[in-house]
Amino acid sequence: MKYVALLSVALATVAAGLLLGPASVPAGEFLRSPIVWQLRLPRVVLAYLVGGALGVTGVALQALVRNPLADPFLLGLSGGAGLGAVVAIALHLPGPWALPLAAFAGAVGAMVLVYRLGLIGGTGGAGGELDPRILLLGGVAVGAFAAAITTALVSLAEAAELRNAFLWLWGGFSAASWTTVLVMLVYAPLPLAVIAAAARPLDLLALGEEPAQYLGADVRRLKQLVYLAASLLTAAAVALSGVIGFVGLIVPHVCRMVWGRLHRTLIPTSFLTGGILLAAADTLARTAVAPRELPVGIVTALIGVPLFAFLLRRWTVS
Amino acid sequence: MRRWAHRTHLAGLLACIATACGTGHRAPPSGGITVTDDAGRTITLARPARRIVSLLPSFTELLFAMGAGDRLVGRTAWCDYPPAALSVSNVGDGMPPNIEAVAARGPDLVVLYRSAQNAPAAAQLERLGIPVVVLDLNQLTDLGHAARILGRLTDRKQSADSLARVMDSAAAQPPAPSTHSLVFIVWDNPPIIIGAGSYLDRLAALAGARNVFHDIGSPSAQVSIETIAARDPDFVAVLSDSATLPSFAARPEWRVVRAVRHGRFLLLPGRLFGRPSPRVARAVRELRNRLNGEGGAP
Repeated sequence: MKYVALLSVALATVAAGLLLGPASVPAGEFLRSPIVWQLRLPRVVLAYLVGGALGVTGVALQALVRNPLADPFLLGLSGGAGLGAVVAIALHLPGPWALPLAAFAGAVGAMVLVYRLGLIGGTGGAGGELDPRILLLGGVAVGAFAAAITTALVSLAEAAELRNAFLWLWGGFSAASWTTVLVMLVYAPLPLAVIAAAARPLDLLALGEEPAQYLGADVRRLKQLVYLAASLLTAAAVALSGVIGFVGLIVPHVCRMVWGRLHRTLIPTSFLTGGILLAAADTLARTAVAPRELPVGIVTALIGVPLFAFLLRRWTVS
Repeated sequence: MRRWAHRTHLAGLLACIATACGTGHRAPPSGGITVTDDAGRTITLARPARRIVSLLPSFTELLFAMGAGDRLVGRTAWCDYPPAALSVSNVGDGMPPNIEAVAARGPDLVVLYRSAQNAPAAAQLERLGIPVVVLDLNQLTDLGHAARILGRLTDRKQSADSLARVMDSAAAQPPAPSTHSLVFIVWDNPPIIIGAGSYLDRLAALAGARNVFHDIGSPSAQVSIETIAARDPDFVAVLSDSATLPSFAARPEWRVVRAVRHGRFLLLPGRLFGRPSPRVARAVRELRNRLNGEGGAP
């Protein structure tokens, strides 16, 4: 029943995103209008895919470091991806494909740094224990460092244009087109599949690393794969829509409150819920103050925080 | 924004009254010069400024236009007109300025643009004993007022006043009947456009083009591509120093906008169009020529 409700909300959100917009499209021309086909539809689809990817990333990272605060932002991945993207813009790397690659390079760079910081008790290939607390601290530090370099690049840039890169970094779907949807469809399925396939080992990991090891999970390999997949998803999301915080943080919690802790259900529902949150937020961003537009990250927080607070209250009271 | 302009006028009026009463006409050097700037501060100079640091390209242009260019000892990295300005020492950014770099030039007057970002700089320079004049320069109407104040401070009253009269008449000119519509696009992702509270909106009106976002009161705003497509401007105006089309011209999501699809771009050099300047009449003429020259395309 809950699944039917979720699917209906998802469909309704996409439909609303298609029907609502600052331009009025006559009902008769709706199916032929380039405003619908070239602007609204790719935008809704991209927002949904990015929202879903961020939701799943949040689930994976929270399970991996066994900390409810973990999200791509906190682990430094968003910061690294943002730095990579700004470097790509500064170097005038062309096209919609170069930006995700540069962002991915940045995210992987940040990831490797954070990973090495989090690895204690072993050197290099000898393998050590990945300490979730150190991993989080390292993530915050590396994220702050990447953000500082990004800010330095943007503020020192000769071209006034690069300063506007800051606007882009705050997040938004203005550049959505079928090309960007295609980029997402190429980048996202593999890491999503990796995380989905790791659903059972992630459940075991919740019991602790040693019990998980005894129960047959290859913890070391699991961590590496899931961490890499999460980085790839974050990189694609940041490259296509800037840094949109918050979705990866709250969506997993919302889903855990409603659907429980099993990753087999948590992963698909987080994808659907993250998509709903971001697609709805983007539709509001486009229409609420028309003809002007709001940055989508602001709307995500404005509708996400009350929802989160409500669920949190119910959850802690009961 | 309109309220803003009013306030500027009021400040200007007060400044004129205050200075006229305080020092009389043709103040002798010994009597000193007193003006009130747009921040409501009173500036007193013992004698006309001879070592000036100008912290906005528009101020630099005004000073050169009134024949006080040889008194400049510092300018921002962005002051690129007239060509003679390039030989003046570069002190970096104007907003906010590098106080040490400005002070190192040993100025007896610093001309600062009025903005919240610059308020601490004004206070710091004052503490160093360097006179600072803080002026508005957002609209066409601000030019004449700024020219008058700078004219008093440099004792170039006559040429400054005649410059100001030209600026005022340009600003007071009734807008030409609009034959075209356009949108100014400042940035493409997210799309930032120019609204009514701006110099460019007024410039377009004088050249006979209607800004399709004239209903947005602020100087600039973020909008969606869909809104631009729905407003369907005849031209897309972009501040650009190169002759090649901006990169978003080829992107599929932008081609929903008719003017982008038909390649009807106006590439306006930032040096002439990017700021209110004494060359406003030339900017209007050039924009009008471009509108009409390319108006015949489908």
